[in-house]
Amino acid sequence: MKLKKYVSAAGLTALLATSLLAGCSQPDESESSSKTVITLSGWGGNPVEKKLLEEVLDDFEKSHPNIDVKFNQISDQYMDVLKTRLIGGTAADVFYLDAFEAPGLIETGAIEPLDKYVTKDFDVNDFEKPMLDAFKDNGKIYGFPKDYSTLALFYNKKMFREAGIDGPPKTWEELEKDAKKLTKGNKVYGFGVMPQIERLYYMAESQGGQVITNDRATFAEDRVARALQPILDMHLKDKTAAQASEVGSGSGGEMFGQGRAAMVMEGNWNIPFMEDTFPKIDYGTAELPTVNGKKGTMSFTVGYAMNAESKHKKASWELIKYLTGKEGMKTWTSKGFALPTRKSVAAELGFDKDPLRRPLVKGAKYATVWQDGPMLPIVMNNFNNQFLSAYLGERPLKDALKDAQKQANKEIKVAE
Amino acid sequence: MKKRPIGKTILYVILIVYAVITLVPFLWALSSSFKSLGEIVSGSINFIPKNFTIDNYKEIFTREPLFGRWLFNSLFIAVVGTFLNLIFNSMAGYALARLSFPGKKSIFIIILAVLMIPFQVTLIPNFLILKAFGWLNTYQGMIIPGAVNATFIFMMRQFFINFPKEVEEAAAIDGLGKFGTFFRIVLPLAKPALAAQTIFVFMAFWNDFMRPLIILSDESMFTLPLGLNSFKGQFISYWNYIMAASMVFTLPILILYAFFNRYFVKGIKFTGEK
Amino acid sequence: MVKSSSSKKLRREAGQGYLFMAPVLIILGIFVIAPILCAIYLSFHKVELLGGTHLEFRGLDNFMKITFDDRAHIALKNTFIYVVIVVPLQTLLALVLAASLNAGMKGQKFFRIVYFLPTLTSSAVLTLIFMWMYNQNGLINHILDMLHLPTYNWIGDPSVALLAIMIMNIWATAPFFMVIYLAALQDIPDSHYEAAELDGATGLQKFWHITVPNLRPVTSFVVIMGLIGTFQLFDQSYIFSGGSGGPNNSTLTVVLLIYQYAFKSLGTMGYATALAFMLAIIILIATLLQRKFSKEESLY
Repeated sequence: MKLKKYVSAAGLTALLATSLLAGCSQPDESESSSKTVITLSGWGGNPVEKKLLEEVLDDFEKSHPNIDVKFNQISDQYMDVLKTRLIGGTAADVFYLDAFEAPGLIETGAIEPLDKYVTKDFDVNDFEKPMLDAFKDNGKIYGFPKDYSTLALFYNKKMFREAGIDGPPKTWEELEKDAKKLTKGNKVYGFGVMPQIERLYYMAESQGGQVITNDRATFAEDRVARALQPILDMHLKDKTAAQASEVGSGSGGEMFGQGRAAMVMEGNWNIPFMEDTFPKIDYGTAELPTVNGKKGTMSFTVGYAMNAESKHKKASWELIKYLTGKEGMKTWTSKGFALPTRKSVAAELGFDKDPLRRPLVKGAKYATVWQDGPMLPIVMNNFNNQFLSAYLGERPLKDALKDAQKQANKEIKVAE
Repeated sequence: MKKRPIGKTILYVILIVYAVITLVPFLWALSSSFKSLGEIVSGSINFIPKNFTIDNYKEIFTREPLFGRWLFNSLFIAVVGTFLNLIFNSMAGYALARLSFPGKKSIFIIILAVLMIPFQVTLIPNFLILKAFGWLNTYQGMIIPGAVNATFIFMMRQFFINFPKEVEEAAAIDGLGKFGTFFRIVLPLAKPALAAQTIFVFMAFWNDFMRPLIILSDESMFTLPLGLNSFKGQFISYWNYIMAASMVFTLPILILYAFFNRYFVKGIKFTGEK
Repeated sequence: MVKSSSSKKLRREAGQGYLFMAPVLIILGIFVIAPILCAIYLSFHKVELLGGTHLEFRGLDNFMKITFDDRAHIALKNTFIYVVIVVPLQTLLALVLAASLNAGMKGQKFFRIVYFLPTLTSSAVLTLIFMWMYNQNGLINHILDMLHLPTYNWIGDPSVALLAIMIMNIWATAPFFMVIYLAALQDIPDSHYEAAELDGATGLQKFWHITVPNLRPVTSFVVIMGLIGTFQLFDQSYIFSGGSGGPNNSTLTVVLLIYQYAFKSLGTMGYATALAFMLAIIILIATLLQRKFSKEESLY
């Protein structure tokens, strides 16, 4: 009887131990097939964009008959899902990677450096340098930018005419003045704003302050506060600016399209959105107004990166090479849903001559790329949380920034 | 009961007001699903659509061909998972109540302890174990880890302790073994307890959001809540589509419910008949 | 002879016992007990599983971090507020609804069907429906406006976002517990009520003096289930805030934080398991306290 108890206990323990070991260690899997199938993960995009991508992938499969590409869409919480799958070993071979998230992911070693695959005919120097640099770490390239967009000022021409304003504001001071003329109570705001660091980063640093220094948040200082104060003043004092959710809109673009804001800072994505959803609105675009006489804007770029654990690295590279090569990029950006990161493609497609896109293309030269090291996601979260409370007038900006910085740095410490 | 008309009126007021509170969100969602985007965006609050349209339903099925698949996945996982739970939990409950074997007491204590541990504790290691088994993104990865449930093992044990012994003794005389007795005689008589379990377990599988979020990666493997969330991600602010999709996901369950309605209230009991 | 046959019988019964228990033992062993041991192990390490497994022993570091992690404090605070408000309200509402339904009124079948609807609907669907109603120009604000009450930016305003989730959850969960109460109500012998009626008790008196005490074991069950459920709030906050717990951390719950540290930020999986253990202990304490207060042993 007693012996049996021990035996059963031992059996149970053994069972537990094996499953524990099985769980905490990681066996390798392998697969083989004659025709290589690789997967590509990305977020959705609108139906036309999806079709474009399918077209590019079809072209690729035609020119590479021994490679099949399976597109796997992650339409919600892209980065969480991607990370989870990378851990689980179920991630795609090639995936979209937002420059903003790239440094953190690169640090873990989950992304394959691409330098060794690059051949001369790929022409790396053809890429816009700031966009390419966003995917570099220690001199190695971990991704090639597939497209980008800067921010431009979208303005409602009809509202401008009705308010007796000739053209879009050139300076921030002009914008503030125009916004006053354009605002009609709480129905129409002069300026639709997103009180978030990803849109305001260039402004935050416009007076010499630094948001992040050596992987630590350092934005709680006068120069940053001074630079951002005008945004709060427009909302709280002038009451000429509001964010989308305050007027029941889902996004800045929607707010603009619904006629609840006369001006918004949006990117290239907003042009097809307007065409699709609000075709009747008569609007124009302009370079963002200067801050302290200096031009500035944000630039957002997304690249293709390769899973370091991919079993088909050669085929994966072929795909990346095609997608970010001249031919693939030309098809992908031909409809104007995104701007090409290759100078040669940009010149060929002539977006700098398109009246709506010209300000966006011009901005690329002086834009701040939205990427600032591995800690930026943490900093962004904390900044946005606290900045919102200042924006809503719950407390002074300086206090909010101080708290945000303290919390961000604590969190960075937690992550270390 | 007829003595107090005022009390009765109050009761009716409570019942009707709450029925309205319950129904309004559904009706509002239903009405939105038949409106055009223009009418949705205009922010009017008419429950009867001005321009009644079924385009939203047509659109979502063309734009998201995986709808049927998600529904199937959810049903499959919930039905198989619930079935396994019923059998496994009852078997264990029966053994703990009626059979004697060495280690019974320690096993029972372990099960009681497990009952207290929230599943978040085991979330990350579970993920790693599923990965080691190659069960990520599979049905078995969704079903097997949830195929037993400490709460209901415990519940079934309570039920069987109070279960009349004579029934089993009669079965034993008829020459039925323990397994025969259990599956042919005992289990059919345990219907009230099983019905309660069915509802709880089915709803838990049906509503589960966090586990599929982590385990399932292929869109064609998504369950309904996950698919719907991903659909929302694609069509932010197209509330007419989102509401249509929500309705598509709700209807099959309501139909099921209409059929099984009479079992619901009678079935939900947590203690054995004393 | 007798002895050996009885020990044979015993052995056979033991074998059968293990057979009956086998599925449960295997599954609990692999998917619950082994993970718990694994989690204990992980909680003492810095864990990064991206790009290969990196484990680094950190002792009690992860548990110490909880003390200075502001977001953990906020998540705890939010979760506590949520539990303290939602559990009593949903329990009370469930009881009142069940008692009203059980009063033998005409059309109670209809009401029962209607009331059960939220329970049948997936919480993901409900969350979306409510997000739509909570929209700035949505139904709820319109109704508030009609009643000349202040309107809110329910999803975007940190001061009401958690409240919005509470309202939704009470609405969605109360009917579920109502059904449990309903079954229990049918077990209260009519003779209790008849005796009270002879004594001239009013409806309300009957409710407080017969119904409520008789339902005590079920109430204990409902409260414990409610506690466990509310402490583990995740889906609604996740969908409402798009996984961030915003605006301004106002919908950040402990489980959402665990999720974020485990799967969103990098290298914090060990810390996430430490947080999960903290939550386990809190739930354990809450359940024990509940038991102490209600002194009911019949269900747990």
